[in-house]
Amino acid sequence: MIAHRTHVPQGPIQPGLTNEQLATLLGERFALTRDASDRWDLTLVCKAEQLREVVKYLRDEPTLSFAMLLDVVGVDYLAYPGHRSERFAVLYPMKSLAFRHRLVLKVMVDEEACVVPSLCEFYKSVEWAEREAWDQYGIVFAGHPNLKRLLNHHEFVGHPLRKDYPCQKRQKLSMNDPMIDQLEARLRSLGYTILERGETSVGQAITRPSAVPSALPKAGGKP
Amino acid sequence: MTYQNVPAPVAPEINLGDSFVTTRVDAVVNWGRRNSLWPFPFGTACCAIEFMGIVSSVFDVSRFGAELVRFSPRQADLLIIAGTVTYKQAPVLRRIYEQMCEPRWVISAGACASSGGFYDCYCTVPGIDEIIPVDIYIAGCPPRPEAFLESIVQLQKKIDKESLVEQRTVGI
Amino acid sequence: MKVITPQGEHVDLMTLNVGPSHPATHGTLRILAALDGENIAGCVTEMGYLHRGFEKMIEQGTYSQVLPYTDRLNYCSAMMNNIGFCKAVEKMFAITVPDRCIVVRVILSELSRIIDHMVCTCTNLVDLGALTNFWYFFNTREQVYVIWEKLCGARLTNTMTRIGGMYRDTYHGFEDDVRAVLVKIESAVHEVRGLIEHNKIFIDRTKDVCAVSAADAISWGWTGPCLRASGVDRDLRKDEPYYGYETYNFDTVIGTSGDTFDRIMVRMYEMIESVSIVRQALDRLKPGPINTLDARLSLPSRDQVYHDMEALINSFKLVYEGVRPPAGICYDATEAANGELGYHIISDGGTNPYRVKVRPPCFTQYAAYADMLTGSMLADVASSLGSINIIAGELDR
Ligand code: SF4
Repeated sequence: MIAHRTHVPQGPIQPGLTNEQLATLLGERFALTRDASDRWDLTLVCKAEQLREVVKYLRDEPTLSFAMLLDVVGVDYLAYPGHRSERFAVLYPMKSLAFRHRLVLKVMVDEEACVVPSLCEFYKSVEWAEREAWDQYGIVFAGHPNLKRLLNHHEFVGHPLRKDYPCQKRQKLSMNDPMIDQLEARLRSLGYTILERGETSVGQAITRPSAVPSALPKAGGKP
Repeated sequence: MTYQNVPAPVAPEINLGDSFVTTRVDAVVNWGRRNSLWPFPFGTACCAIEFMGIVSSVFDVSRFGAELVRFSPRQADLLIIAGTVTYKQAPVLRRIYEQMCEPRWVISAGACASSGGFYDCYCTVPGIDEIIPVDIYIAGCPPRPEAFLESIVQLQKKIDKESLVEQRTVGI
Repeated sequence: MKVITPQGEHVDLMTLNVGPSHPATHGTLRILAALDGENIAGCVTEMGYLHRGFEKMIEQGTYSQVLPYTDRLNYCSAMMNNIGFCKAVEKMFAITVPDRCIVVRVILSELSRIIDHMVCTCTNLVDLGALTNFWYFFNTREQVYVIWEKLCGARLTNTMTRIGGMYRDTYHGFEDDVRAVLVKIESAVHEVRGLIEHNKIFIDRTKDVCAVSAADAISWGWTGPCLRASGVDRDLRKDEPYYGYETYNFDTVIGTSGDTFDRIMVRMYEMIESVSIVRQALDRLKPGPINTLDARLSLPSRDQVYHDMEALINSFKLVYEGVRPPAGICYDATEAANGELGYHIISDGGTNPYRVKVRPPCFTQYAAYADMLTGSMLADVASSLGSINIIAGELDR
């Protein structure tokens, strides 16, 4: 499995750097720039190619020690007034547990390729957060071990939080995901070798195809 | 061996006096069904927390004979859907309904279960009656506990009007 | 399925599906486990059964219309979600709400924290078979609900907070009601602790079960009581204080081993700390205005509307269009009952939020759940799931 290095902070939280100091420091080292729309917090724009390097530095540098990546936020700028550059963006809010500073990394994502490097090897929390961003926006995280839908069902087509997905466009599900393949992948990653699939009560029972009926029983009648 | 005078047998009813009544099968069966509903709480969201409220001591649904919460659909005859049902959840709900034995009744608790509530978007089922038949709808987001109790009383009234014979003969 | 274990043995694993409609999984979570006897060799978890499009829905309405949706994120402590969202929007306007409003918000937050911990602990104990605690805590919780009803009419989904203030001021006799309920809370916590703290069955089933080390908890992004149970002393109320939390006298409760026992106990003791915060806040509750007077946020008084053209226009604008925060990206977090509840708001300067992303605290906890379970027993599924307090509303949104 991936090795995760984390510092456990001792004692109370320390003041840390101010937003300006952080911006200068990272601006000099990685040429990150402050985002135009950042008014309240520190939002730094980062190129996708740099992302892994920057995050690694932020996590491992003892004077910064951004130990937590709080979330992976997808944004679709399609309907944003006056927006000219790439259509999507991914925001990575991070915080440190040793120091009282936070920052948000912003990566612009081009609509054509729609790829960002995955950060799974730096933080365990990222795996699901990236799955969610993929599910909702269709942004691909290159190098993600298990990029599957998380919130929507597995028969869903499209990415609902994109601005061009109609809010009320419903998609029915005929049967639940058996998830046996995920379980097998999981066992393999734990060091098991799978010889035979065998009887899986799960796969058969849940995938019974009568799931959502076309003809309904008489509503309101005697059950 | 001497002959003893054995009293002539009498009809057994003579001794029973007023201790029995005659009634219809329907009335007895319905009385039993009505007063011992075993609910299966299909609680998914906020309404389920209110359902926990009515089971607990202040509102105490056992006053209406419906406190024996069963988590197996095979042992329950009342399905209470409390919470939003999404398309991902819909096959599960349908299957649970199919697993319940007759007679079974369904209460749809709250705006979400009855109509989708204010979640009118790509993932929510606009009312569970798209999937299973419903007997009682309760309004509210979440319904007040009193509304929950009222729905059980209404369901009892409804059960009272059902007929076992009719079900058997018509086959429903 | 037939497998070879990492140690080289041939075993036959049984796959078992738990949920989504299972009493211990709260109706919306699913676990698919491969069992070796009673031990869980490996498992995967699924979520999304309550994904009801929160983030899509709130892009359709105005900022004020978001508030009822936030109630339904963590419905065990709806008030705290309201407060978190309003605080984020107020940050965008760079205003501070009046002192009375702040103190009332602190009182409501802490009471919400208490009832959230109560629901979490007692349902967890029910999963372990200890039903009595459920009655103790639900009785007390109902009394808090009586206060909520008197405040705003609703029990569960309150929508009590407004951007820039509260829906209304407290009622006459609010302080007395709260003080009375605090005594009840203390006695309920005392009774439940008496039932479980030295109970052999409880200890055997929770001690050293599904322990999460501090380093793991941090890497998983855990916050709140679960992180503290692993021994990391971090609490937003202390570290990045808001609403004057730095002036209240309270302790953060931390555990040592991060097992199920610690997670339950941290919640138990936090309730007592919250009771003390509420008492201190009640002493500070001074009469005064509850809503901000900032014309961008709050409606002018009726009197002004009838006599002043500006006020009339402002009133119309606020009612028909709603508030308009400046364009930009804003992240703001509060310490909710489960941990760091963050709102990431992107505004385009219009009246509808362009994008709101909630950072639900239990999302990261549930992500870690499959890892926690690996190597433990099947019976621990129920006990540990309760202790990480997964609320489907905020998990799936
Ligand atoms: S009706 Fe309201 S309270 Fe009930 S599940 Fe829906 S949103 Fe929640």
